[in-house]
Amino acid sequence: MTTPAISPGASALIEGPAQRGPSASRRFAQAILRNRKATAGILILAVISFVAAFPGLFTNINPHAAIYDQQVGPSAQHLLGTTQVGEDVFSQLIWGTRLTLLITVVVSLAATVISILIGVTAAYVGGMADRSLSLLTDVFLVLPTLPLLIVLTAYLPSGSLTITAVMIATSWAFAARQLRAQGLSLRTRDFLEAAKVRGERSSYIIIVEILPNMISLLVASFLGLAVFVVGFAAGLQFLGLGNSTELTWGTMLYYSQQNGALEAGNAVWMLAPGAAVAVLGTGFALLNYAFDEIGNPALRPVRRRRVKPSA
Amino acid sequence: MRGSRLFSLVIAASVIAAACGSSTTSPSASGTGPGATATVPGASTTSPGASAASPTASGPINSGKIGGKLVIDNESGSTWTCQFNPYNPSVSGTAVGFIYEPLEFVNALQTNTDGSNKVTPWLASASTWSPDFKTLTFTIRDGVNWSDGQPFSAADVVYTFNALKADSALDLNALWSADGGPLTSVALQGSNQVVFTFSGPAQTYFFYVADQIPIIPQHIWSKLDQTKLDTEADTSPVGTGPYLMSNCSQNNIKYLRNPNYWQSTASHPVPQIAEVDYPSFLSNTPANLLLAEGQAQWGAQYIPNIDSFYVAKDPAHRHYWFPAVLNVALFPNLNNPLLANVAVRKAISLAINRADVSQRGESGYEPPANQTGIVLPTYNAWYDKTIDTTAFDVAKADQTLESAGFTKGSDGIYADSTGHKLSFTIKTISGYTDWDSSLTVITQELQAAGIAVTVQDEDTTVYTPDLQKGNFQLAYGEETGGPLPYYELRQMLLSSNIGSTNYSQYKSAAVDTLFNNYASASAADQVGIIHQIEQVMVNEVPVIPVVEGVDWYQYDTTDFGGWPTPDDPYAQPPVWATPDNGVVLTHLFPTN
Amino acid sequence: MRYVARRMGLFVLTLWAALTVNFLIPRLMPGDEATAVLSRMKGVNPAALHALQVEFGVNTDQNIVVTYLQYLGNCLTGQFGLTAARVPVMTDILDKLPWTLGLVGVTTVIAFAIGTMVGVVSAWRRGGRLDSILPPLLFIVSTLPVFFVALVLLYVFAVTLGWLPLASNYGLGSTPSLSLAFTWDVIVHAILPAATLIIVTAGSWIYTMRNNMVTTLAEDYVRMARAKGLPGWRIMIDYAARNAILPNLTGFAMQLGYVLGGSILVEYTFSYPGLGYLFYTGTTDHDLPLQSALFLVYTLAILICVLIADFASALLDPRTRDA
Repeated sequence: MTTPAISPGASALIEGPAQRGPSASRRFAQAILRNRKATAGILILAVISFVAAFPGLFTNINPHAAIYDQQVGPSAQHLLGTTQVGEDVFSQLIWGTRLTLLITVVVSLAATVISILIGVTAAYVGGMADRSLSLLTDVFLVLPTLPLLIVLTAYLPSGSLTITAVMIATSWAFAARQLRAQGLSLRTRDFLEAAKVRGERSSYIIIVEILPNMISLLVASFLGLAVFVVGFAAGLQFLGLGNSTELTWGTMLYYSQQNGALEAGNAVWMLAPGAAVAVLGTGFALLNYAFDEIGNPALRPVRRRRVKPSA
Repeated sequence: MRGSRLFSLVIAASVIAAACGSSTTSPSASGTGPGATATVPGASTTSPGASAASPTASGPINSGKIGGKLVIDNESGSTWTCQFNPYNPSVSGTAVGFIYEPLEFVNALQTNTDGSNKVTPWLASASTWSPDFKTLTFTIRDGVNWSDGQPFSAADVVYTFNALKADSALDLNALWSADGGPLTSVALQGSNQVVFTFSGPAQTYFFYVADQIPIIPQHIWSKLDQTKLDTEADTSPVGTGPYLMSNCSQNNIKYLRNPNYWQSTASHPVPQIAEVDYPSFLSNTPANLLLAEGQAQWGAQYIPNIDSFYVAKDPAHRHYWFPAVLNVALFPNLNNPLLANVAVRKAISLAINRADVSQRGESGYEPPANQTGIVLPTYNAWYDKTIDTTAFDVAKADQTLESAGFTKGSDGIYADSTGHKLSFTIKTISGYTDWDSSLTVITQELQAAGIAVTVQDEDTTVYTPDLQKGNFQLAYGEETGGPLPYYELRQMLLSSNIGSTNYSQYKSAAVDTLFNNYASASAADQVGIIHQIEQVMVNEVPVIPVVEGVDWYQYDTTDFGGWPTPDDPYAQPPVWATPDNGVVLTHLFPTN
Repeated sequence: MRYVARRMGLFVLTLWAALTVNFLIPRLMPGDEATAVLSRMKGVNPAALHALQVEFGVNTDQNIVVTYLQYLGNCLTGQFGLTAARVPVMTDILDKLPWTLGLVGVTTVIAFAIGTMVGVVSAWRRGGRLDSILPPLLFIVSTLPVFFVALVLLYVFAVTLGWLPLASNYGLGSTPSLSLAFTWDVIVHAILPAATLIIVTAGSWIYTMRNNMVTTLAEDYVRMARAKGLPGWRIMIDYAARNAILPNLTGFAMQLGYVLGGSILVEYTFSYPGLGYLFYTGTTDHDLPLQSALFLVYTLAILICVLIADFASALLDPRTRDA
């Protein structure tokens, strides 16, 4: 339930390059642009972000206006039909993008930050602190995540804030373990030794010396988390554990399911937000996959050449 | 719409309207009207089975045959536990009516000309109140046997009620004085009479005592630990009812006809359907599909687009009827300084287009309510037709607010002279998606009338205490109600119900007196009292009824007749309404 | 030995943490089980509330520390009491367990088999058509939300085509027995839920297996085998795959957590009466005894698998013992 199943990218990056400087990042950017999966992923995320930022450009219908014919299929006026109450589904999909994306990004970012705090600190400080932090990480790693999420969201006040908070709290552990491993491998590098000899403070060393060397791993962690968060946040809302007065793709799924959209012949109402969740997740997943290929050259696709590894 | 709300109704039904419980000492009157049930038309007959033979207003004629297999269709929300303890709220819906029966049947959907409920004697053949309504005497029917062959007697009735006293977890209607009720003793008189003694006039308790308490066999239950009866599994139930539990699995309960049922005579066998299957359904969709496929005949389902999804597949035989029993209402918190102003409450009531809420929020299944609080057409006999209940009128709402000194700001929202905006939150129960839908409509209607509202979802475990403690501004909710308008209105408005069911925290000595006078009033005066309360509802708007809560009910006449219909509302029709389900089961007959 | 002790320590600590969180969260929030039941029954007398609180063991007068210790004791001894429906919790769980165990067990084995095979072959034929299509495609598919896959399958095969049932574990007309007809009915009902779980899990098996194979194939002993002129399939199976599969054992334990979680959503979507559905209703109905017991079951299932995987890989690969 923790991220491993869907975050293969990160593991390969542990041994990844630790180059620094503009030339390295430019090379990295070029590699991304050359990778077709990455391009597709970036394109998807760019479009969704644009919709989230400017929903008004795509529809002029108020998503909460219950004034149209009820539960009708797609038409020229209502591209994705209407809800049971007579709201426009397309408009809800457009306006629901913002909160859906926001939850995903906030949770993934925050969980990545926590994993840095715990993973890198453990690796850098070592000793007793490392052992306790690692233990904490291991405990969180094996807790059954979805059952825990269900318990937490069922008892805490319903809403995006709750979902965001509990998902942050339950999803940082896998990335923290990877970051610790990477941190351990960096610890003995010369430039860190040098910084220590110069008498820099630990926080300075972690932020200025260590983190820049982990950028690719951090990005991979973020992407892996995002794939997981998209699906699980929507899953929780689909189960009715979100706040049904907030407009997200997950709550749209909840309402359509509760009103029997599939059997009432209005499947689009349910399939559209479901597909939107899937596309958003796919965007992050494509990017994650591409990162893995770029970060771990051994896995790069080999084209137009029948390869025998021994050859 | 499905999910927890329907599930909650299933459980609520078994203890419908226990709400008087918290303030039970005030004297009150009964739905049955003063005097004995024998004075009630229909009650003089000693065999309710006789009515089963009477032809229904429409549909096939009963030829007196036995046979057929009826399949019930109701989203149970969980698989069956195969327990049948009639005092376990989670399973009582599969036990009461089928296997266990009450003393008399009080029909919440049918009133006599004087407004009182129609009552049918069941395990008791008659009942009489003392003139002061403190003593109720039931005459227990002869010739009834438990399904294990042992004779049923008045001693079983005495035992049952005293078992409730011994284990207060059974006393969910809080009848006994120890549990906060007026009941002080239940004793045998002679060989076939049971005398109930109350601490005060207790007419309104007739419904709970006679209709809501299923009688259990003393020779079996008295051998169990009397303080733990509520956890008794009762896997092989022994009752007096029309059906015997034949087989139970997690997915289905199979009932077979009780061949020795007491209502049965040689010329009119009762019940007439040989087998009844009650499958469990975790969710709405598969249950609806079974009905649509014609594999189930008795539905209690919320079905989206019911006309095309269900009826259209066989319009000659498939019907539905959603009788209204309660109000779903907006409760204003009268301690809120803005909502304390009656002009604001009136404006809210005027600004809500109840027909639109009904159509959009409830698919037209739940009819619009009216400001008097009387559920129509069910309680027509109690409705004061002379009261002006202007429903939807935004211009009048504007006028009401303006003449009360409110002015519309640039944002289109009214504010009082000190600048306090008419902006409120409405609390509702999460998971009640039809309420969410209704509130979507209400929100936009109030917004258009210059009143801003925000909906706030809460889990029932938070919502209920919040309403009881007055921790809200506006709340969307409903009461438990009872068999007559009196019960629901009393729950809403009696000052001693503040802290339990009087969510608005409405306080009026005059209204309290009216409710208290109801006890000693004649049937006609009771109607007069309720008319005065209706006037209060309209003038003071302590509660704003929006739509009427209904029972979901579908039926298929291809193989079976004798269903409750709007023309013959002889019982509440959903299968989870107990003991009404038993009344329906004794009326149904195979058509071929 | 130190390794074993350390892993057992983690086991106990995690168990304690899980139980404590599960104890604290519901109790720190307003509303108890009795209130939840009463809310559904509506307007019941406070006296009945108190009676039910005693009945459900929600004794509000009791010190929370005492309650906590009792709770831990009950969890350790398996005394979970009665559910809100007043069925022994263990009975309820044992009734539903076979359905979930069957679903999760069978799908995990199938997904693992498919994933490993495709992973091995695509790594062996690296750069081939299979390799350039299947692993990325299945990886993307496996990142789709579980419930979305379930809904699409439901819509296509149950609602639209009507080929397969859309809910439940067996048909209305069936009675549980060992007959062929009943078995077939159970299989037919399990196809869609099982397919959902396989679709969302097979991809990551393929992915990890392929990557392990790629790394292994570059090892010296594989080159040696080639130099010796052994047949290709023998190298693929005996030399590379056997070693590449090792890291997947740990993955197996991790995957179980994902599958168990996914089974909750799948059982919900297909109204499949297993542990996942029970856990969902138990939690949303605030049925604490049921919820506590099921949470314990989930935690234990994962912990035991992690332990087994740990010990297995320690036995098979001594290097990990010092990791």
